[in-house]
Order: sequence, then structure tokens, then C-alpha cells
Amino acid sequence: MTTAGATALGPRPLRPRAGAVLAVGRMFRLELLHSAMLWLLPLAAGLFWYDAYRPSMAVPPLWSLRALTMQHGALLTFVLPVVGAASWMGSRDSRRGMGDLAGIAARPRWVRQLVSWAAVTGWALAGYAVCVGVLYAATARQAAWGGPLWWPAVVGAAGIPLLAAIGFAAGSCFPGRFTTPLVSIAAFFGLGFSSELAHGGTSYWQISPIIAGAVDVGPDPGVATFYPYLPDLPIAQLMFLAGLAVAVLGALGWPAGSGSRWLRGTAVLVTIAGLISSATAVGLVGTARLDPHGMMNIPALHDAANDQPIRYSPVCSQAAIAVCLNPAFAAYLPVVTSALQPVVSEVSGLASTPTRILQAAPTFTQEPNDAIGIGAPGLPGTGAIAGARPRVLIVALPDQLPGERQPDLTTAEFADQVRAQVGVSLADYVIGSDRRHSQAQQAVRAGMLIAAGVRLVAPGQRMDERGVTARGPAPGTAVYRAAQRFAALPGAARLAWLRAHLRGLRAGRITLGELP
Amino acid sequence: MNIEINDLTRRFGRTTAVAGVSLRAGPGVFGLLGPNGAGKTTLLRTLATVIQPTSGTIRLLGRDPGQYGPRREIRRRLGYLPQALGYYPGFTVAEFVEYFALLKEMPAAAVPRAVAAAIERVGLGDRARSRLRTLSGGMLRRAGIAQAIVNEPELLLLDEPTAGLDPEQRVEFRTLLRDLGQRATVVVSTHLVEDVGAACTEVALMNGGCLVFHGTTAELTALGEGHGVGDAPLERGYSAVLTAARA
Repeated sequence: MTTAGATALGPRPLRPRAGAVLAVGRMFRLELLHSAMLWLLPLAAGLFWYDAYRPSMAVPPLWSLRALTMQHGALLTFVLPVVGAASWMGSRDSRRGMGDLAGIAARPRWVRQLVSWAAVTGWALAGYAVCVGVLYAATARQAAWGGPLWWPAVVGAAGIPLLAAIGFAAGSCFPGRFTTPLVSIAAFFGLGFSSELAHGGTSYWQISPIIAGAVDVGPDPGVATFYPYLPDLPIAQLMFLAGLAVAVLGALGWPAGSGSRWLRGTAVLVTIAGLISSATAVGLVGTARLDPHGMMNIPALHDAANDQPIRYSPVCSQAAIAVCLNPAFAAYLPVVTSALQPVVSEVSGLASTPTRILQAAPTFTQEPNDAIGIGAPGLPGTGAIAGARPRVLIVALPDQLPGERQPDLTTAEFADQVRAQVGVSLADYVIGSDRRHSQAQQAVRAGMLIAAGVRLVAPGQRMDERGVTARGPAPGTAVYRAAQRFAALPGAARLAWLRAHLRGLRAGRITLGELP
Repeated sequence: MNIEINDLTRRFGRTTAVAGVSLRAGPGVFGLLGPNGAGKTTLLRTLATVIQPTSGTIRLLGRDPGQYGPRREIRRRLGYLPQALGYYPGFTVAEFVEYFALLKEMPAAAVPRAVAAAIERVGLGDRARSRLRTLSGGMLRRAGIAQAIVNEPELLLLDEPTAGLDPEQRVEFRTLLRDLGQRATVVVSTHLVEDVGAACTEVALMNGGCLVFHGTTAELTALGEGHGVGDAPLERGYSAVLTAARA
């Protein structure tokens, strides 16, 4: 030890306020260097890969599917490392016997705690950004069209400061050896179960940050593909998460010794403001309604500009009847075209045959018992609308794509779905879209579909859960027998008969007995 | 006077750790002696504003530590080495000292120089980049002293500062104490009477929470004349006072 440095120090100012930001910045640097979160980043990345990246990459490369699937899993994967690290850092002074030394610091304890929390949050956010960035980069390479959905990523990011605040507060207030594992596990299950409690379109539990979009719709290829992703619910979730994080951090500044009376008063006000923000967000979520495009509309937060459809140029097949899909579905154009070919060949060249089959946005309706009705624009539940434009059949594709979710759908089953659902729409379009078909119309429609390989199910019988069947006449009825006869004709004979009688058939002037 | 204590009492439940101590001290090195459980550490923690007195008044550096604003001012000018030094094992010596410099609200621009100077003064210049977990007990103690003196405190409170230091380091430390005592009030709580004899201008002796002696080291030595217990004159004075207090 030496006295050599005794005169090296300059005079110390009485009120060292200048450079306070720089000083806090230096503390932040030290906290960053020694934050437990830094060591847990590999664990967080591994969990993200397992529970967010893999499930997201397993679904088809549509931005909506990938982003919404990611939002559900991403924050959950960060719960354990973030809450654990924050709790560990919050209890650091007590664990290390630093209570006396740190307790007599001139700098307010609240500031010190916030800096330590910020370091945990900073690392966690950096890790989260890298993980999401990798997922989005991979999706960008695979997706045929569209761009990243940022709101799901932002909601997940906004959850991290809250998780860190909860962990830090728990570690700071209860610096026991079991606090870190207990609070981490409690936060994990609390967040996980929060999505299980949400049911229906008006549930307050939709405030949970792992709920991506309408809870009963879930990730769906028809959502946020034709219309912009509605930020209503994410905004409410952000308000909730930020408010709660602020409230928890504010509460850390309440105890005596946290700082000056002014600082503690500020902490109380911050807490109150945070709680008001969170409560307001929950209240807003209670007013949410499912909009026709499958997203949650919160009137107080809704921007009507988001109701305008996204402009795009469809990708079309070169066939007798062109099949045109949203470019995001370009990868499915061959299978859809191929699946429809048997039905197309049944109606090819007829006067009322459409020149194009155009994919459009499905419509979503909230139904009782947390069910969702999915249909085509203007005619929910039918899958078809005619006459919007001359000779264009507007349809919605089946709402599940191959590989999208469990139980998995094979490409062959998807083709059967397309044939059953879009093929029926095509047959209806040609024969007449009036739902009150005459018996002859019913028989011809059924005969065409049978000939095209569509499995028909009689009224009252259970439809196949995978949507590979269509409604047809009941066996044993005259319509059924006529349909079987019509289907048994050679294709050229069916087509010739339709050319000759289509006008009368559409007008309902053909009787069952006049069918071949 | 940098320290003005009047009738200070501190209780922990039914235990009275410090009982009615009155004390004044100005610049210089002040030794606080006493057997285990005498109340030295409690008195030091009270002076360090870690705990508040149960009764009595304290003024430190001319300010009342009972109020937030003055207490913060005191803490900016305070250096404290607790008996049981906690530390962050992953921090390097320089980071540890820098962290406490920042906690003491030193101007950020002055921190790097102050940290380097403090580390040099405790003889850890060559270990500045070593992590605390790799240091020996004596080195850790010196790192603790470095954080205590980094802000050139006007009031420096050291609880058993030489514990774990080797004889050579203790000699150097006494030199450092004398140097610090030129401008600041340094209170050293210790069992080692020779440290007090070598470095302190004033000495107080506590027993059972009470102050039983307050004077110069020469006065304490004088009280030991003719007393048989102890190897050194100061030790005999220490024993004589304690014996008298217990009687």
C-alpha cells in the first residue's frame, strides 16, 4: 500500500449532478458485463429453437402463420431464463452479503435496481431479437409473398421487460435460495395457463401476450394475408404489459431508503399510472369483437384504414379455367389446379362456366361454444359467391394447409378438400347458385361430383372432419338414383347433355325424369 | 467536529448493543478498541448510516443523518469497510471499486482516475484486472479498503481492516491510515492494539455497549503502568481499563 496516489485525486464536487447520465451509463455497462442473463442466453436460444422456431418453421411459409405461431411460443420460452436471471440479480446484494455496503450508497437504491433490471432486460431483448430475426430471415427466404408481421414480435418483446420486472421484484423482496426457481416456475405456468383461460371473442384473457390474434381462430392462412394485420389486440396487449412492468418497477421504489421523498412519490405515481394503463387495456380487450377477416377489432383502438384489403396480383394457372391464388399461396397453385381438374373437365366449355376461379379472403364469424364459422366473402359457410364479377368464381381455399397444424394434413388430403369444397362451388356456379336446387339440379350436381371423385355424404350423416366430403342426396332416393345414373355416363355424354340442357336446368325447367 | 454523538443507544430487541455513548472526533485516526460483543461494529454501522440509533443524536460531517438529503450528502463523503465484506465474485478489482465509486455519486469523468489511484494505494495495481473470486483473503480486504477510499472520504469507517493482512501489508496500511487521517476522520475498529498504537491519535475503548475510555494512546498507555497483563504498554493499558470497567 502506498500514499503515492493520495494527491492524484482532484477536488470532489459537492453536488455531482453533472454527468449523472454518464455515471448511470457506466453502471449499466458494469451490470451488462455481469448480468446473469448473459449466461442464460444460450438456454433461452435453445428453448426458443425447441418451442418457437421448430413449430413455426413446421407450418407453411406464410408470414401470418409463422408470426402468429411464433408469438404463442416465443415469450413462453423466455420465461424461465428471464425471470430466473432477474430474480437472481434482484437478490444479489443479499446473497453476496452486500446489504450494508450497497445500502449506504448515495445513489438511490431504486436507480441501482432499475439499472440492474435494465441490464437483464437488455440482454434478454437482444437474445429475443436475434431469435426472432433468425426465424423471420428464414421465413423471408421461403415465403412467396408478403412481409414480416411485426406486431406479434413486438408483443413478445414487450413481455420481456415485465417478466424481468417480476423476477427482479421477487428476488429483491424475497432474497431466499428458493425464490429464483419458485418465481420462474410460477411465471412459466402462470403465462402458459393464461391462454388456456381465454375462450370466445370477448374474453378478458385475450390480454395474455401469448395469445396471437383471435383466440378461437388461431394462426390461419386466411388471416392477415388478404387484409392488414389488425394491431388492435396487440396495442391493448402492449398497454397491459408496459403498464404492468411500470407498476412492478414503480413498486420497487416505494420502500423507505429507495430514494428521496420526491423519488418515492414519483415511484408511487408511476405505479398508479402503470396500473391504470393495464386496467384500461384489460377493459378494452373486453370490448373486442371478431372481425370478418379473422382478427380482433377493438372499437376504441381500431383504425378504419386497416379494413382496406391488401393489393396484390394473383398468380394464375394456365388451364381451361384459370385458377388464381393470392401470391402468398403460390406454392399451392399446382396442387389446387390439379385437384380441381376432374371437376373442371365436367363443366369445361359450358356457357355458364367461369373463365377464372379466384381465391379470396375467407370470412370468419364467431359462433356459439367458441366455434368459428369460416366461409367466403358475403356468403359465410358456403365457400362460394357468384356474380361479383362476370364469369369469375370467387372461392376460399380450405382453412388448413398441408403441414399447418396437428393433426397434420397430407397434400393428397388437401387436394381432396379442394375438390370437395371448391369443386362443389364450381358445380353450383355452373348449374345455378340458388340454394333451392330443383331435384334435377341436385341430381346433376351430385352426378358431376361423383364422377369427379368427390365423396358425398347424405343429409344427417356426419361429414368427414377433415373436410374431404360434400353433401349429396340420401341413398335410395330418386335423386340419388338419378345422380348415380348421370355419373355412370361417359364424360363426353354428360358434357353433351349439359350443353344441350344447361339453360333449362339452371332455370329449373328440367325434371328428374328428363335426366339421362 | 466530523463526528458528534450524544447519548447514542442502539437496541436489537431486548439486547442493548450500544448504551448511551457520547463521542466527538475531528480529523485524525481514531481507534475503537474493545472485546468481542462490546458494540464496536454496531457503533460503526450506526456511524455508517447502515442502521439508525434507537435513541440519542448523531451529527456526521456537520449534518443530521436522520434526514434523507443530509444523509445522502454524508454518504457521498463516507467510506466504509464492513467487518464481513461481501463482494461480487465475477467483478474484477477495478470494476468493484468503480461500481462503488459510481454508487457514491462521484463525477463519472473522475471515476477512472480515482479507481486507479485507490487500487494503487492499497497495493493491488497489478491485480486490478483480476476477478475477486481469484483473490486471497488479504487481497479481498485490500479491495474492500480501495472501495472505501475511492471517493477520498471525509469520514472513513473501517471495521477490522487489517484482518487477513500479512505483517508487511499491515505496516503499509498503517502508513496509509496516517496519510488519510491528515484530512479525514478515520475510525478504525480493531482487536489489534498494536495497529492502534502505530496509527491512531485518539482511542476509545468500549465494553458492554458503553464507552469506558476515550483519550490519546499515550493516556491509555499510562493507565497500564503497573498492570501486569499484556506484552506491550498499550496492551497493558487496554487490560487495565477493561479490568476496571468490569470491576
